[in-house]
Amino acid sequence: MSDVAVHGVGTSHFGRAPGTDLVTLAWNAVSEALADAGPEPVDAVWVGTVFAPAGVAQRVLRAMGITRVPVVTVENACASGTTAFAEACEAVRTGRYGRVLALGVEQMSTAFDGAITPEDTDPEGATGLALPALYAMAATRYLHEGAVTPAQLAAVSVKNHAHALHNPRAQYSGRYTVDEVLASRMIADPLTLLQCCPTSDGAAAAVIGPATGGPREVGVRGVALRSGAPWGRRSPHVWGYDIVAETAADALAAAGLHAATDVDVVEVHDAFTIGEIVTTEALGLVAPGEGGKAAETGVTALGGAHPVNPSGGLLSRGHPLGATGLAQLAEIVWQLRGEAGGRQVEGARIGLVETMGGGVSALDGNACVVAVLEAP
Amino acid sequence: MQVTVADPRPRIVVAPDGTGRVAGVRCQACAEPVAYPWPACPECGGPVVAAEFGPDGVVWSATVVRIPVADRTPPYALAYVDLDDGPRVLAHLDDVAPAVGARVRLRTDTPDPHVEVIG
Ligand SMILES: [Zn+2]
Repeated sequence: MSDVAVHGVGTSHFGRAPGTDLVTLAWNAVSEALADAGPEPVDAVWVGTVFAPAGVAQRVLRAMGITRVPVVTVENACASGTTAFAEACEAVRTGRYGRVLALGVEQMSTAFDGAITPEDTDPEGATGLALPALYAMAATRYLHEGAVTPAQLAAVSVKNHAHALHNPRAQYSGRYTVDEVLASRMIADPLTLLQCCPTSDGAAAAVIGPATGGPREVGVRGVALRSGAPWGRRSPHVWGYDIVAETAADALAAAGLHAATDVDVVEVHDAFTIGEIVTTEALGLVAPGEGGKAAETGVTALGGAHPVNPSGGLLSRGHPLGATGLAQLAEIVWQLRGEAGGRQVEGARIGLVETMGGGVSALDGNACVVAVLEAP
Repeated sequence: MQVTVADPRPRIVVAPDGTGRVAGVRCQACAEPVAYPWPACPECGGPVVAAEFGPDGVVWSATVVRIPVADRTPPYALAYVDLDDGPRVLAHLDDVAPAVGARVRLRTDTPDPHVEVIG
């Protein structure tokens, strides 16, 4: 039994929308979340965003009449939205606030022409390490170790784009073949275009409050947040593995679960195909070295033993950084209520959200959040 | 306004024998090698002393970037290199990415950390 529950969720549509203002993107998410949760006012707001202009939180909230309350903006790279969620849950659990709004908002299309420009005050950013290249390093290493094949990398893209056929909010969807994924334009060897998340704009929101046993409340069983350890030759793992494994262990323990295999449905941070493979292994959903095979053989597909990214994931839904974590949360809430339509995981009772963001050199990720949720 | 900003990249110095070294620090408590002149050890927070690493190492992984990144012209190859008894550093490579496990040596003539395959 959880003390804290998600009372409502909402999202914008995801896609390139350079002509849509941030107020509209945020309102699309917040109005849906408030309608879902009920009309009582919120006592505080946590906002996750990465590249939005200073003051964005108050700028979008005042346009929807949310004023005179504490507003806190957080930045944790790709995990900014889930960090806002984690802090909102903790504020409710400790009784600091009664009803808290978590909002993630991001407009990538007006910030970047293509891939994210690396941060030039960071050593590796200044050396030209774009994010696709960072993930490509992990993919190259996995290929070298025989832990994945090119076809298995592509299978993640095939699976997630097919899942998104049932997600009307996704930026992209489609029935691709492994050969089509591998034949798409090379971005950073061995990752091709269809193995990389697109540039996206969007917003997502959740209303968090004490659990009252309501028929639409999704319980928060456990949430964990960590920054990464120094990453280098001390770790036997690729970048991003250890932080996910350690954060997941914290969240599963908090939820009273023995293993991720006790979870029925999972949304993970698949900014690149290799990311989903490494993450499913780090979570313990599949054995080390089995993540690629799990995608190839349908274990992580809808209808498989451990469905991963029924929404289509970041690869299909898109990846507006600050919004992504709360979009993942919204998907799990819909899944646990049985409201996910053609992508529903039948009978899902326990769900898990994982978001990992990075880019600071010499660290195994800037932040990771893992949350375990349970059906009403 | 034109301002000079600090260059965050690892500093490459030339040793008396003419080969390159990464000028960083080493932890006095846990011996962690660090490629940057940081004030404390990132692994344990312990005190550090100046240390130099290289010139040789092994490619841990590599990629070729095929998209424009900032003002760089693609394609260009990058590798994570484990310097012998030193830190893992990001370095550029000559245009073809060598196999994981290749022995490489730091160059001294480039603003970016840059390695070439040896032996
Ligand atoms: Zn130390």
